[in-house]
Amino acid sequence: MASKANKPELIVNGKRLDGRGFRELRPIKIEAGILKNADGSAYLEWGNNKVLAAVYGPVEAQPKHMADPTKAIIKCRYSMAPFSSLSEHGRSGPNRRAIEISKVTKEVFENVVMLNEFPGSQINIFIEILQSDGGTRAAGITAAAVALASAGLHMKDLVYAVSVGKIGKELVLDLDMIEDNYSDSDMPMAISPRNGGLLLLQMDGEYTKEELAEAIKIAAEAGKTISKVQKDALRSVYEKVEERYNGE
Amino acid sequence: MKNMVFPGDMVSNAPIRNAYVYVEDGKSYAMTIGTYDAASGQFVPLEGNWTPRIEDTVIGIISSERNNVYEVDLNFHGRALIIGGKFEKFSFKVGDVVEATIKDIEDRRTIILVYPRLLSGGLILLVKPSKIPRVIGKDNTMVKQIADSTKSTIAVGRNGMVWLNGGDAGLAAAAIQRIENEAHVPGLTERIKNMVEKTEKR
Repeated sequence: MASKANKPELIVNGKRLDGRGFRELRPIKIEAGILKNADGSAYLEWGNNKVLAAVYGPVEAQPKHMADPTKAIIKCRYSMAPFSSLSEHGRSGPNRRAIEISKVTKEVFENVVMLNEFPGSQINIFIEILQSDGGTRAAGITAAAVALASAGLHMKDLVYAVSVGKIGKELVLDLDMIEDNYSDSDMPMAISPRNGGLLLLQMDGEYTKEELAEAIKIAAEAGKTISKVQKDALRSVYEKVEERYNGE
Repeated sequence: MKNMVFPGDMVSNAPIRNAYVYVEDGKSYAMTIGTYDAASGQFVPLEGNWTPRIEDTVIGIISSERNNVYEVDLNFHGRALIIGGKFEKFSFKVGDVVEATIKDIEDRRTIILVYPRLLSGGLILLVKPSKIPRVIGKDNTMVKQIADSTKSTIAVGRNGMVWLNGGDAGLAAAAIQRIENEAHVPGLTERIKNMVEKTEKR
């Protein structure tokens, strides 16, 4: 977190810096199946975040000693492009932060993808952040879920992720970069919408017990919007083809 | 699109048996993107991977040879082998295209192939395995239609590889790619028929 000494006012006249309400998401746009060489792919724009996710697999597990004879393994690479943000990124391979996010993303999808269908194989997930503005791990997970679905891998659910933070005493949804740096706390969550199961919960800062319960509720409410965007993205791939023939 | 379901969508309140549906707490949920018709209980997946089954016909490329045992690349994450015996000698070379039938699957990832047939010349098309049933059609009607009209020899593998040779192979390939892209739009048979026949008359 940035220094508290020069902390800017994050809430002005009951609105956030970018004019959003406390429980308002940034605009989200997803496009599925845009990379022809990948088995599944998605491009996501979430506010100023721009994310590309690609899925390859199942392929033979490499190196072979990593292969599990009972189930598939998932490999995930989250990486920020060198030009993605104002600070330095990706000049010398993955840093500590990228390794951590790759790991937690992998663990989210290990709970969702039906790994026992492809024993001895490997599923590769690549998440490339082209432009970042806070909440990129949530954006990455949301995009990767769409990419996995468009790859046709069997999954229990279409996961989404979103962050809830705290500015002063207010709980706010979907923090951007400035809010992320100066807010009192930040909590990205990945949720399985089918049963509300939490697949990722990382916390930076402090919450009371009541605030935590409220934050999860806010995220689940916002998830309805995110899930709809995800499904519309997948649906439009097929509808585009269909529309072409409706005129004939 | 009508009746489109996504992973995690509930398709039924009761447990149902389907390859693309899983049951939890007595309810059935979709595992993949597809269309589900509740009246007939038919789930058509729009995307998906190939799961090998015994007696599937597949097409592959010989990737290595040793002591009359041939390894075949089927675009699958496991291994596929053609094992020659004392009276069964094959003379394939690395790079040859073969059509074969699955005899056995060991550990769900090692495929044993029998009755290999060399396919010489021609070109290979990679099609999404979930669309192969549409390429074949009911009682082979679709693939027969394309083969008859274009005078091309076509072999379709369940693993997503399609081999074409002779005749107007380019048109046949275009027709198959069109099936892959448009399998979910109604009136496919008619469109493909028009496509291959129009060119035939020219």
